Amino acid sequence: MPDLGGERAPGAPGRDVQGFRDLLPEEAEAMRATQEAVLAEMRRWGYRYVVTPTLESLDVLELGLGPEQRRRLFKLSDGDGSLLAVVGERTVPVARLAAGRLRTAELPLRLCYAGPVLTNDPGRFTRRREMHQVGAELVGASGAAADAEVIAMAVRCLDASGLRGYQVDVGHAEFFWGLLDGLAVPPHIRAGIKAALARRDFVALESLLASTPLRSAEHELLLRFPALRGGVEILEAAGALVQNRRSERALAELARVHGLLQAHGLGAAVSLDLGAIRDFDYYTGVIFEGYGPDLGRPLAQGGRYDGLLGRFGRPAPATGFVLHLDLVGELLQRSADAPQLTRLDAAVAWSGPGLEAALGLGGSLRMFGMRAVVDTRARSLAAARSWRRAVGATHLLHVAGAGAVDWVAGAEPRRRLGSEEVVSALAGSGAGR
Amino acid sequence: MISIAIPTGVLLEGSLGLLRRSGAADLDREEIGRKLLVDRGGLRVVLVRPADVPAYVDFGAADLGVAGKDSLWESPGSHYELVDLGFGACTLVLAVPAGSPITGAPETWPSTMRIATKYPAATQGHMRGLGQAVEVVRLHGSVELAPLVGLADAIVDLTASGRTLRENRLRVVAEVGRSTARLIANQASLKTRTTAIGELVARLRGAVR
Repeated sequence: MPDLGGERAPGAPGRDVQGFRDLLPEEAEAMRATQEAVLAEMRRWGYRYVVTPTLESLDVLELGLGPEQRRRLFKLSDGDGSLLAVVGERTVPVARLAAGRLRTAELPLRLCYAGPVLTNDPGRFTRRREMHQVGAELVGASGAAADAEVIAMAVRCLDASGLRGYQVDVGHAEFFWGLLDGLAVPPHIRAGIKAALARRDFVALESLLASTPLRSAEHELLLRFPALRGGVEILEAAGALVQNRRSERALAELARVHGLLQAHGLGAAVSLDLGAIRDFDYYTGVIFEGYGPDLGRPLAQGGRYDGLLGRFGRPAPATGFVLHLDLVGELLQRSADAPQLTRLDAAVAWSGPGLEAALGLGGSLRMFGMRAVVDTRARSLAAARSWRRAVGATHLLHVAGAGAVDWVAGAEPRRRLGSEEVVSALAGSGAGR
Repeated sequence: MISIAIPTGVLLEGSLGLLRRSGAADLDREEIGRKLLVDRGGLRVVLVRPADVPAYVDFGAADLGVAGKDSLWESPGSHYELVDLGFGACTLVLAVPAGSPITGAPETWPSTMRIATKYPAATQGHMRGLGQAVEVVRLHGSVELAPLVGLADAIVDLTASGRTLRENRLRVVAEVGRSTARLIANQASLKTRTTAIGELVARLRGAVR
């Protein structure tokens, strides 16, 4: 190895794989806390927790994903030459599970899951290739009540994560397909329109629509696609312009879902977005996205995918959503609402013959639900003060012998108490909660 | 506050003119060039390198951006492309040395053409569409030199007037794409601040010549 003087040339191989990273305790604990809070909320709605494998057969994933998502999968080959892929999302694996091992379970099924997913997106700006998600799927229920349940639960999960100032946009995948059906254009133009919208390229869309002879109100709706957003009044405004059954049905469904969301007690957080464009091909009905303040990407995404289960041999309607924990964490970190995680309630130091008593004290504190670390070597009270700062404990307890404990809380002077008195004082002070 | 990223270079004058005509912000070249970031009348204007505009917009550091279509070819992202702003028109062309046997007729093309370019994605996409195999050499400047010293059979490069190509004795054999400045928007900005962004977009659209 040439001596690089401790420096590494830019681009030279390091220990980190590009797009993957370690989460240090602060961030990892915060993410874990968010995940637990969200899963607990899902449990309150009656969703059962499942774990699906990290690797799936490529054939299985391809049943559910469009060409763009397939391209982004991390692929590898098995010993027998068959192709495997690391999951890039878990809706498809959960659909496989619901149609497979759970095929005899009565519908509707309410399932939730959490875990990392990988995308191998060679896009220039992708910094991360591993993302952490929590999701839920309601399998075997159709209709507005099921759509509203999943949207309302998603909003409550965002609440549970500690985020404030988010918003959820509800749209309908069929609204767009109806408009496209309604346009009297040759097939190649239709394909071009679909591709332009998928790229969110409204300049191309405009020139394609300009080249078609027949101009209708539906042209105008397509052109205004990114701005077709608002309250319940936009359903009426759009209803006056659409002239096809498919879009009309979509608007009627959205109106019902919107009404039920009011009954769920969600008013201000929910908007309607008729211009929702989604990357995943499997959505067939009501779709929604959650946005946080000043974050360029959606925090939560979900919707109805009635065609997916059938591809695994058990036709059933389904809807669900996923929450991106990395993005929620990024926002929480930025906001003042970040939950404060106490690192440690008590640092228990000892000197002389105090080790046995210190171990007993640590055990008692933990029994009361407090987080306590007992030092591994003897330390004077003075040395223990700086050790306590290093481990970030609220209280310092120092045991010099059996019976008596020196207690230092914050900047207060030390007090000498019996060990049982210390435990009840700390338990009464609210530590450990 | 709404923010807009505008590019240095050939699109700067057009971008400032657009902001001025729309009544969004009256800025001169010297001021924005010196400060790089100016807040005026509820609008934040950020000056960045042309190829960086999509990054600012895709990550939400800017709500809107002015970007040449040529920079969008190379970095497809999650932004919305809203308005063709009309200015900064140029053409992406396939060009060869004056003495090359390659012409506009595909039968004169080698089975694998080696092409030097700053636009590998656009080049590969276009040539794949024609069924032509290519080997792309990615360069960062002075692309015109590559075929003259034998690095490549041809180049794909942007040209506004064709002068640089003629000066280097290069002959255009095909058009690969056309570029103008585009107004792009962050997807979340459009959703979370629809009204404010929508109004500004309408004003900018109205100021397009």
